[in-house]
Amino acid sequence: MGLVWRITRLNFRAVLEYRAEFMLKVAVGAAWQISVVVFATVLLTRFPGMGGWATSDVLLLASMRLLSHGLYVLLLGRVTWTHIVVQLGQIDAFMLRPMPVYRQVQLAFFNVNAVGDLLVAASLFVGAVLVVDVDWTPARIAYLVVALVGGVLAEGAIGTALGSAALHAPATAYWSMWLDELMTAFGNYPLHILPGLVRDAFTFVLPLAFVAYLPAAVLTGHLETLAVPGWLAVASPLIGLLAYLASRLLWKRSLRAYKGYGGT
Amino acid sequence: MDAIIARDLTKTFHTIARRPGFVGGLKSLVAPARIAKTAVDGVSFSVREGELLALLGPNGAGKSTTIKMLTGILVPTSGEVRVAGLEPHRDRERNARTIGAVFGQRTQLWWDLPARDSLAILRDIFDVEAEEYRRRLAEFDDLLGLSEFWDSRIRHLSLGQRVRCDLAAALIHDPKIVFLDEPTIGMDVVVKEQVREFLRHQVEQRGRTVVLTTHDMTEVNRLAERIVLINHGRLFFDGSLTELRRQFGATWQVHVTLADAPADVAVPGLRVLRRDGPRVAFGPGDGATSTHEALRLIIERYAITDLAIEENDLEDVMREAYLHREQMTA
Amino acid sequence: MSVAQWRVARVTPLGEFAQPARITGTAVRLAAQVFLVVCLWRSLYSQVETSAGLVRDQAVTYAVLAVLALQIRGLDRSASRDTMLQHIQEGTVLYWFVRPIPPRRYYLVRAVGDQLYGFAWVLVGYTICLTAGAVEPPASGSAAAAFAVSALLAQVIMYQLLLAVDLLCFWTLQNNAALTILRFLQNLLSGVIAPLWFFPDWFLTISSVLPFRYTLDVPLSLYIGRSPLSDTPRLLAIQLLWCVLLAGLTRLMWRKAAGVVTVQGG
Ligand SMILES: Nc1ncnc2c1ncn2[C@@H]1O[C@H](COP(=O)(O)OP(=O)(O)OP(=O)(O)O)[C@@H](O)[C@H]1O
Ligand SMILES: [Mg+2]
Repeated sequence: MGLVWRITRLNFRAVLEYRAEFMLKVAVGAAWQISVVVFATVLLTRFPGMGGWATSDVLLLASMRLLSHGLYVLLLGRVTWTHIVVQLGQIDAFMLRPMPVYRQVQLAFFNVNAVGDLLVAASLFVGAVLVVDVDWTPARIAYLVVALVGGVLAEGAIGTALGSAALHAPATAYWSMWLDELMTAFGNYPLHILPGLVRDAFTFVLPLAFVAYLPAAVLTGHLETLAVPGWLAVASPLIGLLAYLASRLLWKRSLRAYKGYGGT
Repeated sequence: MDAIIARDLTKTFHTIARRPGFVGGLKSLVAPARIAKTAVDGVSFSVREGELLALLGPNGAGKSTTIKMLTGILVPTSGEVRVAGLEPHRDRERNARTIGAVFGQRTQLWWDLPARDSLAILRDIFDVEAEEYRRRLAEFDDLLGLSEFWDSRIRHLSLGQRVRCDLAAALIHDPKIVFLDEPTIGMDVVVKEQVREFLRHQVEQRGRTVVLTTHDMTEVNRLAERIVLINHGRLFFDGSLTELRRQFGATWQVHVTLADAPADVAVPGLRVLRRDGPRVAFGPGDGATSTHEALRLIIERYAITDLAIEENDLEDVMREAYLHREQMTA
Repeated sequence: MSVAQWRVARVTPLGEFAQPARITGTAVRLAAQVFLVVCLWRSLYSQVETSAGLVRDQAVTYAVLAVLALQIRGLDRSASRDTMLQHIQEGTVLYWFVRPIPPRRYYLVRAVGDQLYGFAWVLVGYTICLTAGAVEPPASGSAAAAFAVSALLAQVIMYQLLLAVDLLCFWTLQNNAALTILRFLQNLLSGVIAPLWFFPDWFLTISSVLPFRYTLDVPLSLYIGRSPLSDTPRLLAIQLLWCVLLAGLTRLMWRKAAGVVTVQGG
């Protein structure tokens, strides 16, 4: 753990080297999140009562998703850069070191975007928690925290699965970028405004629903608008954890089958 | 007729120094410190048409920087360059038609296209006639064995295959002058030999002028008629291989085993490098003595039972030359 | 266009054809994206008739065309190790300076090739969407004409913006962030994320003085008939102004960028 911290500190110092870049990256993270917030506000003001949810409920959902996304980027996000690590031939070097390759990918650099991401997400989150019409009992607060962790893990599962694919074909980066955009575009709203087929795809194929939508429905008491049984919605954090563990297994298997990156 | 003339060529780089440590990093964010570094310092030489010149020197000597100035990529801080009568950085496009260049492992070919497509694009960029292009391609294939792999995409080629394609790419427009910055880096012995053959062919049959940098002394031995040595950006030798040997390679060792072992072994004009009982290694003393002369001197003085002469190879010569230069600047 | 330029322009599309998986990928992605966008906007409009002066079909048309338009923006060349950033980081940009075609022209020809390729995609996508009823035809004949001119100018502005960011690589060795910011600003302020008409007035004011809106929102608004036709000359004039301004800027940047290579050694 001490080692992880030391490397992270070195990485952080390294990003300070390129000063313009550092500022830009913080701005990128913030700007990205702000764009999501802007879009959400625009939709909420223009089309109130989205899917039968009050505006503040949707706001809580959006802010949960943004915060867990920010935490994901900070804690596990580097796995989405696997394709670059592969292309640079670094995986081969990682294999020679006495540390799990997954951890080394995570320690490959410090993602400055996350700083901006988190700044915006945290402020929106605080605001949403204050305005939303929910009685914050200790149990609910605990569930909220667990749900955030589950959200990080669920997104980590998607990222890790895509990273596993990138180990073999760096070109999959193209797909992961697209999925990232999709999740940004649709992760912040009650998914049942979409046709059933799409909603189910976002639940069972891409576990996006478990990141924020289902837990937010539990907290705001909208279980009746869901297409999945209530217990499944409540169990979202657990599903996030399971998905993450499964994706780590997938990573392990992919790594065993790693064939190197040709041409260099 | 001189194909390349460099006169008092100088290049100074200005870089921003990063301060060490975390606080230093922050400080550099606010007030960066600039430092100047002279990579090439008053280098003058010329290359005749149809000559192969090896530009040699230790790492960081300024070879690549010199080549970049000769190809017109870098503008010299001061001094003058003429390549085929043109000033490369002023007349970049015209210059580009008369030169070809390969920069080590960097490829100019398009990563996702088959090698042959890349060559075709360059053919069009350089306006090479179809008939000529075919002939040249056939020649390159003959010498470099390109057809084995030229239908594969560049990303799937091995390093040696790619550099061979790059050589062909650099010569596809029949340039009179060719600049090669470490072209054989990372190649196996067979491919290296193939490339050397190719270069020799280009110089001897096609009359091209070639400027080559390399760290491979076998290559220098086989190819170079003329050598220019630079270190710390300064030129300190310009001449043939034989001259280089004469100037820096006069180091040899004579190993003898003496019949009886006297307490003191000394021969005027020679130096005792090592002594291990009856076995003694002599090297040249202050005056430049040939091995021949040394043998005479030793045999005059001592009875010997065994004898071996060891003359330094080019790599030792080069080491000597680099170190010699190091001492001169110190 | 000379043979050489034609060859150079074809580089990226040829690379794409060499890997059919990428083409299928683009098709799937595009289809899914359009489908989702149609779903989203139709369901949003299920409660209201008009919003911000747009009826349902106008909003859907706008959003779908925006998705399609992203295709012409330029292909992602990073997998081909062919972005400006990669050329500068790997030093292969040196070769641009030892060829008889100026780097500026080489870049332009490559970009034109990429965008024509993207345009082919847009045409196919547009035809399919039109037949499937996902997009409406242009509001009127004159709207179509105005759209065509405006879209062309929009593309020129887009090119200049992308070029400007690419040229930034010569100074900041990692310009991923700048690129991301540009992409983000472009998405937000041009109407990719949502039609600009839905945004508050102050937002429209800001985006009117920035170039991004003129890369997408202006032609699309003309297409769906949300911008009155009488406004066309003014809008086109502003677009033209941006073209000129940005062309001047990128020209200057090219000159400085060449200086970075030739003076500082890249
Ligand atoms: N763009 C640059 N900015 C600052 N310093 C540079 C730059 N390019 C080269 N240098 C410095 O100039 C000196 C000469 O570099 P150059 O690349 O010419 O060496 P070289 O002889 O080619 O070495 P090698 O054998 O390692 O390739 C080095 O000390 C290098 O650090
Ligand atoms: Mg070098």
